[in-house]
Order: sequence, then C-alpha cells, then structure tokens
Amino acid sequence: MDNDNPIKAILVVMLTALVCSLLVTVTAVKWQPIQQAYQNLDRNRALVKISGLTHESAQLTDSEVIALYQKIEARVVNLATGETDANYNPNTFDGWQAENNPELNEEIPSEFDLAKLKRRSRLINVYLIFDPENGRLKRMILPIYGQGMWSKIFGFIALENDLNTVAGITFYQQSETAGIGDKILNPIWQNSWRGRKLFVKDETLVLGGDKSSSQSKLNGLHQIDAISGATVTVDAIKDMVEYWFGPHGYVNFLRVIRKEIKP
Amino acid sequence: MNRRIRDTILNPLINENPITLQVLGICSALAITNSLYSALIMSLALILVLAFSNVTISLIRHHLPDSVRIIVQITVIASGVIVVDEWIKTFLPETARTLSVFVGLIVTNCIVLGRAEAFAAHNKVGYSFLDGVGNGLGYSLVLVFVAIIRELLGTGSLLNVKIFPTTTEGGWFDPNALMLLPPSAFFIIGFLIWGIRSWKTEQVEPAEFKQLLISDEDFD
Repeated sequence: MDNDNPIKAILVVMLTALVCSLLVTVTAVKWQPIQQAYQNLDRNRALVKISGLTHESAQLTDSEVIALYQKIEARVVNLATGETDANYNPNTFDGWQAENNPELNEEIPSEFDLAKLKRRSRLINVYLIFDPENGRLKRMILPIYGQGMWSKIFGFIALENDLNTVAGITFYQQSETAGIGDKILNPIWQNSWRGRKLFVKDETLVLGGDKSSSQSKLNGLHQIDAISGATVTVDAIKDMVEYWFGPHGYVNFLRVIRKEIKP
Repeated sequence: MNRRIRDTILNPLINENPITLQVLGICSALAITNSLYSALIMSLALILVLAFSNVTISLIRHHLPDSVRIIVQITVIASGVIVVDEWIKTFLPETARTLSVFVGLIVTNCIVLGRAEAFAAHNKVGYSFLDGVGNGLGYSLVLVFVAIIRELLGTGSLLNVKIFPTTTEGGWFDPNALMLLPPSAFFIIGFLIWGIRSWKTEQVEPAEFKQLLISDEDFD
C-alpha cells in the first residue's frame, strides 16, 4: 500500500498502538508482583522505624528490616467488632489492598468519613510490640491513611502502652507538594507528635481541641503543630487521625485491647 | 573493520558527540550527574532505549507515512522507555527512587528522537543499531566525565569509595557544595565544550552575524 494512502496511515498507527501496548502491558503485569513485594518491604521499613526497636533515623538494610519485623506481632482485626480475625495470616494479609475486594470492603457513612476515603476494608492490619521478658505491651502501631492534597497519604502512628500517648508517627507514601506539603516527612515535625495524647477520659478524641472548652488547659497536649503553607496537607493528617481514632475507626479495637492488656 | 561501521560507532564519541557538538540531552546531564552510580545507570538506560528505538524505527522506516511519522516514532520510544523504567523499578528499587522521573524523561530527550529522525529513518537496521549504541556511548562519556568531577569534588568519594578524606572526618578535603547542585554541571559541560572545540577546531560553528567595526567618524 502506498505511503500516501490515508488508510495506510490509520493502519500503521493502529498496529503501532497494538504492539506497543502489548509490550508495555506484558512487562507491567509480569513484574508487578516483585514491585509490590518491595513496596511491602518499604511499608515494613516505616513500621520498624517507629517501633522503638531501633533508632528512628537508622538506615536499615533490607534484611535488618525483615529481622526487626519478626519481633513485631501482627494481627488482622475486624474494625466493627475489634476482635482478631484468625482466618487471615496477618503477615501476608494486605488490609490496604483489601479495600478493592468487594467481599472485604464497606462504605464509610458520610458523616464519619473525615478522611474522605469513601470505602475502606472491614479488616485491617495492626501491630503490637510486647516486651519479651514480661509479656507486657510496650507499643502498638496502627495504620492511618486518608485523602491528602493530591492523593492518598499512608502512614503509621505508634502509641505507648497507655493506648493514648503518641510514641511516633511516620508516613511512607505521599504525593504532597514538594518542599511544602512533604514537610510532614520532616523528622522534627514528626517528633513534635511524641507525648501528645489522643484522648481525654479514654474515648473522647480531642485532637486539635476547641480553645473555648473547659479542657483548655489540656489542649496543648491534644494539639499538633501546623506547617505554614501546608494547610491542606496538615488538615488531612488531622482528619485522618480523627477518623481512625473516631467511632468508625479503631474505637472497638482499642476497647478490646484495653481489656486484653489489663493485668 | 569496515570503515563505515567504525565511523558510525566512533564518531558520536567526540567528533559528533550529541551533548558537546549537537548540544542535545542536556537536562538529564545536569540533574543526575551528582552521583557516578546514577550517571552509569542512566547511561545504560539511554543506550538501551536508543538501540531499541533506532532498530525498531529502521525496521519500519519504509512504511511510515509522513503524516504520522513523528507520532509513531514517539510511541515506539515511549514504550522502550517504559520497559526500561519498569525494569529499573523492579530490580534496582533503591536506584529507581534516586533516578525518580529522569528515566521516564528519556522520552523527551532530544537525542533519541533526533537520531530516529536523522539516522534511523533513512538507514539500514545494522547501521541504525550501531548509531544508537555510538550516540549512547557519546552521551555516557560526557555524563561519566561530569559525574566523576561532581561526585569527587562534591563529596570526596566515588561510588561510595572514599578517595579524599573530608574535613568532617578529620581529613584535609573541604567538599565543594556547588558541585552537588545542577548549575555546576552546566559549567563543567561548558568548559568541556570549550576544551573539545579548542582541540578540534572544525567543531566551532561559524559566527551567525558578521561583526562590523563602527567608528565615531561614521556618524559625522
């Protein structure tokens, strides 16, 4: 067929598109599991970072991350009941991906959906660190995620054994504005979360408390520092934490765990 | 070796280097040359993409209608870049984080489309492959040269091997912080071009305008 023939132009373009998309698709599908495994390793790197098992700024090799991860007890928890679901292996179950599984996900009622997630999994991974000598709970690490300025922000928050004081916070996946929103990765800002308390009288979440309330003396403990210029991002973090520690988040699990660790 | 084969590979190294003579593909040369390791991986990625794109476009060169020629070339280049980028993300995930968007930006690297249009669209597959590899090597030469200078003078080490002991470790070498920023690559490439054109004066471009000497007397 002559090159000037417009039908040939269409044929050439369609054939190119077909062959190229095939090439790219086969590549992506074939290598996706390996990339996913590395992403999981990176997630566990963030987990280990605030576990208290190592210095927070330590640069760990992949095998060190795996070794420290094995000292953490993972569980799959049903958010509605707060009980552990033994049907799933907590080290392989991916509570974050489960949100795409129609059998495992559920819609978040809009009055609770502070983190703008719309749907979330009914089951989630939680992580507990027990003292090997006396079996007491040392720290608990819970996933937190929500809609940020440009995409979802994923992180972990670590709580001391009173299940109220923050021991650490970290984010391992975010696409916030470079130089501004991504200051949530700044270790100084993340450190400012340490020692803050999420709840007053066990179940009332007072994060970012109202200045006019009678609890005003306690507010310093229940507030987090903002980052100037990063209002949307920091509001997203605040909303995320309020969602996950609110009535549609970990509240039932916390009740169950409190009973478990009481002597 | 056949003279034409030798010229196709060797010319792009110095005589017709894509960066220093044709001044193409500067962006990635500035961005990732602060580390020799990144420069080497980036160079390898570009050689692979160039070879793949040149070969593919040469294979279909007789069947590319003018109206869609550029679009088809870009599609082929983009697919090659995606495959290379995915390979790096899969097997070298740490490097992928450092190189971030720059492997993907090979699609916009003028060298690739430039060679496709200038060479692969008019030459046989074998020579197109050699031209791709040759230009990739020319690009690599410049990148490695710049990266060695920047990493050595900016950190005192190369490929994580300490060469100059820095003052923070009790040594004598005070690292030059400018070397870690992109403008330093600009200066180094500029000096490199100056050096090469002083050695090979045939590369110096003729002036675009003739300079006229005007004296005050002309205005009386």
